Amino acid sequence: MREVTGKKNGKQRQGEGNQGLSLIVSIILVFCILGTIVFSVARKISMEMSASAINNLSESLGLLKGTIEAILDKEADFQKLMAQEITMLDDPEEFIRSYRRNNTMVKVSLIFAGEEEGYSNTGGVFTEEGLDFSNHKMVNGLPISKSYLNDMGTWAYTLKAPVVKDGNEIATLYMEYIYDSFEESLPRGFYGGHAMLYIMDTESERLVLKPKGMGERNAGHLNLQDFYRANNILEKELQEQVAQSIVSGKNLMFYHKIQNKDSLIYMWAVNDGTLYMIGYVPIESIQQEGRTVSQNIFIVVLVTLAAFFLCCLLYYLNQKQQNMLRREREEEREVHNKQLAEALQAAQIASNSKTTFLSNMSHDIRTPMNAILGFTTLLAKDAENPVKVKAYTKKIMSSGQHLLSLINDVLDVAKIESGKVVLTIAEFTLNDLVSSVDAIIRPIAAARNQAFHVSVTDIKHEYLIGDETRINQILINLLSNAVKYTPEGGNIWFRIIGLKQHSSQFEHIRIEVEDDGYGMTPEYLETIFDAFTRAENSTTNKVQGTGLGMAITKNIVELMGGTIEVTSEVDKGSLFKVDLELRIPDGQTDEQFWVNCGISRILAVDDDAEICKSIQVLMKDTGVVVDTVLRGEEAIRVLQEAYETDHAYQMLLLDWKMPGMDGVETAERIRSLFPEPIPILFLTAYDGDEVQEEALHSENIGILAKPFFVSAFKEKILEMRSRHQGENTAVEAVENNSLEGLHFLVAEDNEINAEILLELLGLEGAASEIVENGQLAVERFSMAAAGEFDAILMDVQMPVMNGYQATRMIRSLPRSDAKEIPIIAMTANAFAEDVKEALDSGMNVHVAKPIDMELLKKTVNQYVRIRKD
Amino acid sequence: MRKNQHRNQSKAAKLCLITIAVISLTSCMVRQDSLQNLIMDEEMKTDVVNLFGPMEKSIPNGVNTARSAFDMTIFAAEEKWNLSVEYRTYTAENYQEKTYDDVTLDRVRNRMDDLYLLNPDTIQILGAEGRLLDLSILESAKNLRDVVKMANTVDGKLVAIPQEIVVHGLFVNQDMFEQYNLELPHTPEEFLECCRVFKENGIETPVGANRWWLENFVFALAYADLYNGGTAEEEIEALNCGEKKYSDYLRPGFMFLKELMDKGYVDAETAYTYEAIEGEGPDFLAQKTPIVMAYWGAANTVTAYGAPDFTMKVIGFPSSRGQMPVISMTGYGIVADAENRENTIKVLDSILSDESLQVYSEKNRVISPSKNVEVECIPALQPLNNRVKENIYVLGSNAGMKLEQWGNVCILVRNLMSGATVDECMEELDRLQEETLK
Repeated sequence: MREVTGKKNGKQRQGEGNQGLSLIVSIILVFCILGTIVFSVARKISMEMSASAINNLSESLGLLKGTIEAILDKEADFQKLMAQEITMLDDPEEFIRSYRRNNTMVKVSLIFAGEEEGYSNTGGVFTEEGLDFSNHKMVNGLPISKSYLNDMGTWAYTLKAPVVKDGNEIATLYMEYIYDSFEESLPRGFYGGHAMLYIMDTESERLVLKPKGMGERNAGHLNLQDFYRANNILEKELQEQVAQSIVSGKNLMFYHKIQNKDSLIYMWAVNDGTLYMIGYVPIESIQQEGRTVSQNIFIVVLVTLAAFFLCCLLYYLNQKQQNMLRREREEEREVHNKQLAEALQAAQIASNSKTTFLSNMSHDIRTPMNAILGFTTLLAKDAENPVKVKAYTKKIMSSGQHLLSLINDVLDVAKIESGKVVLTIAEFTLNDLVSSVDAIIRPIAAARNQAFHVSVTDIKHEYLIGDETRINQILINLLSNAVKYTPEGGNIWFRIIGLKQHSSQFEHIRIEVEDDGYGMTPEYLETIFDAFTRAENSTTNKVQGTGLGMAITKNIVELMGGTIEVTSEVDKGSLFKVDLELRIPDGQTDEQFWVNCGISRILAVDDDAEICKSIQVLMKDTGVVVDTVLRGEEAIRVLQEAYETDHAYQMLLLDWKMPGMDGVETAERIRSLFPEPIPILFLTAYDGDEVQEEALHSENIGILAKPFFVSAFKEKILEMRSRHQGENTAVEAVENNSLEGLHFLVAEDNEINAEILLELLGLEGAASEIVENGQLAVERFSMAAAGEFDAILMDVQMPVMNGYQATRMIRSLPRSDAKEIPIIAMTANAFAEDVKEALDSGMNVHVAKPIDMELLKKTVNQYVRIRKD
Repeated sequence: MRKNQHRNQSKAAKLCLITIAVISLTSCMVRQDSLQNLIMDEEMKTDVVNLFGPMEKSIPNGVNTARSAFDMTIFAAEEKWNLSVEYRTYTAENYQEKTYDDVTLDRVRNRMDDLYLLNPDTIQILGAEGRLLDLSILESAKNLRDVVKMANTVDGKLVAIPQEIVVHGLFVNQDMFEQYNLELPHTPEEFLECCRVFKENGIETPVGANRWWLENFVFALAYADLYNGGTAEEEIEALNCGEKKYSDYLRPGFMFLKELMDKGYVDAETAYTYEAIEGEGPDFLAQKTPIVMAYWGAANTVTAYGAPDFTMKVIGFPSSRGQMPVISMTGYGIVADAENRENTIKVLDSILSDESLQVYSEKNRVISPSKNVEVECIPALQPLNNRVKENIYVLGSNAGMKLEQWGNVCILVRNLMSGATVDECMEELDRLQEETLK
């Protein structure tokens, strides 16, 4: 199905791709057509404009030409008039000489016919020498000379007109005109000053006039060749064509690059080619309109394109956004569905777990309840048979204890899950921790014929700060599980290993609990730390448990910032590893103790090098030199050497069991060799080497349980010293925990509990008085005579006034014994916070319900005795 | 994040579309102003000043036009006074045609233009004819250095003012001098000794020359005492009235030149055919010739001697008073009764103002005629510049001398180069002096 959908999607995508491609091709095609049309239109417009511009230029040049020719014609006409006027004069010379030059005609001369010399208005003799009329060019019928520089330093030309009188040419009138006079009639630049224009004398090819505003430094202003050179018009063929056109007096234009600009060069004949107007204009200047039109078309096309592409972009962005939104919605829906599925699965699992749990609980609670009720029935029946009563009572007690632990676990889990657990941080020693765990587990393991191995290695500090109770809980959980899930005759290993410290202020320890028991399946390993699960198979179903222990353990470990991991294999066993970092307390060195005890050197003898090393490490801060040897014979040798060199050892730690010469034998040898009885402590495992009594009876010999701890070592030294001094030879006083003769005030609202307590205390020989709430307790105590009550047993949850308030009020009563009387909390609120609150309110101690009479007796005795002391 | 980006892009695209629409609509809007149908010719009539000079004007808005320093000052004046300076030019096509100076004389005498760029000889001639305006009325004339005033004063009138002081000196290849353990020469004797050493060491022509500038040797030797002895005015007056002869002053210089030619230190025959720099320049740059003469600006021009491959120094010509710079200057003059006299005075005053001269001097890196304008010169020019700053120099042209110096002595030196004797040259000089006294 999915494959089919995939193929469909593939086809769809391919189809979309083809569509997109054809759309792009269509757009390109449309743009090509549009571009071609626009280009053609622009080109046509440009060409038409160009033709129009050239036409305009031609017209402009024609206008200039007409202007110049008109000037020339007028000059010629005027000169003819002058010539005619002269024929009517009596004294032409005077007329000529009296003529004043003006801005146009600067010189007037006359030569009579048949003479070589004449006269002019500038004075002196005038001849035709210097005037060149060989070009045979005419202006309005008068010959015009080649241009020349006149005595004013400017370019000039001369027209000569015959003076005809009565049909006879009597003289010739010469009139000199300067080109500068054209300036006034010519425009001051054209094409915005971009066009160049010079007047060229065709005969000499000299540029004789540059009208105002029409010259340029780089245009070449000397002659035609200079014009060619300056404007880089070097093509010979072109020059020849131009020369031919000039000779024939034609107007011409040609394109050429001038100063890197496409320009139009023009040469316009004036007066049939007597003069030429030559110059150039950049194409961009004459086609300005065309260019503007093209630019505007280009801008319109650009703007249209921009608008089109912007529309495309908008459409694209819109589509993209829509797609994105759709994708996001789909993703959200998928996530939502997934979450729902997960939630459903979790709910189902939880439901299953809880169903299983309830089923288990039902079973687990009903089992002891069944036992309790069953044995209670039997008890009622066999009440007369003390042996059976005792047996039934014992079983009822056992079932009750189990039921209690079950309830405690359930409550613990609930509390951890609701985040109400608070760690109680305090200093403790690993020695106490290991001792207490060992004391609990070893008997259980022994009862199942299991070997319980304890080892502590690489620990640098045995005094640590942490929640000893919770760590204890972790260890008991792990070890009791190990015992439970290991068949009889199996092995259980309990190891505490010092790891590399991350910080000098913290001891990094690893707790390993290993067994060679039933092990766990990989599937179960995944859920082992989940609440309400329990390994179930035909074997383990025989094991009682709530399935909460591992969840509690994991939560506590994580609460301490540690980690827990487990490896296991079915029928091979399990290994739990708990890593914790515990703070090292400040200033725990106690060198003075060792000085006082006179111990500066000790010798440790153990075949296990790790143990030797551990002893050295733990004793590092004590100031005591610890030498180690691995064998008994070596120990004797070392002791001999020390004795001879007067560096005797003050203490010998001797492993009980060693290969070769064992501890006892070594001790005997040492005693026989050295006169001074060096104190010897045998290192024994907890699982109990059978200590030879006779060895212990020897002087200065004791037993120190493995693993080695400095605190235990110190206690043992003190014990040996006391024994040695004979001060403690008497048998220790038997602890008397009897409640005989004591009088209690009991605040308990529950009648049954009150009655049970009354009976139990009565059985112990104590009198008690019950009040129903805190208020009554306060009143009763305030009315009581001094010393009437030895202690107050206070329930916490009571109507009217609870136990905490009542305690505070009692403590605040103006009586001398109000602050001294022991108040013992007796409550089902059994958590650490409850204990703390009880102590904070002024109570002396907390005893959890249900009442353990032995514990109560011990506690009461402790506080009542203190008070009496 | 991506959604915001898309939203922003979409907003930007919409904004662009709206902008395009607004622009399009605005540009399509037609102004309905039927009342304004009357179109006026708005051609502005501007005042014009006609300038006659050897060069055309560069187009003000021309692209890639390297505008000359002079044009820049002209444009500033046009802008300042809202007028137009029209250039008129003339260049002779060949030797048979009138020279620029000839045409200048004709045009000034016929009042064809208002403002002229004049060569030293025309300044002297036209000044003497009284055709030039006394420019001491110009505000900028107050800033002029004394040397400028002295060189351009005729009959007590300041008839022309230059935009730069042209200083001629000897351009020497210091590396070659050091190669032969020679000190840079100060006196004619030291100069001859240097030439001898160079010649003996295989340098065929120690002094590169052309047909124009050998006269600088003559002026340096002739007038070192006159201009630096504190008696210039009296001596010039004596020359002008014929009490003293120019030949007495110039003879030692001609003799020195003759010796240089005779000993082969100057190749007169070749030099006679050389145009300035074009002829002797390549050999100097190729380090075949250790000494040439040129004007100050040649040291700043890459196409002349601005980028030599050796250590170049520019020093004065040898004289009895040590290394002697020779100063000559072209100048701007106004026709006494110019058609646009007032505007012309404004323009000239503007282009000779300190601001304009600063622009001019910085662009061309030349010595300014204004005592208020100082421009740092390149290291090579430092020796020459130091002498000018010490006020030690001779003038190659002096309008105050009735006998025009720069042009006449140039012709006489060419005669010498062509084989004339020193005495013949001095006789011609005496003749010319006599003509001026007529």
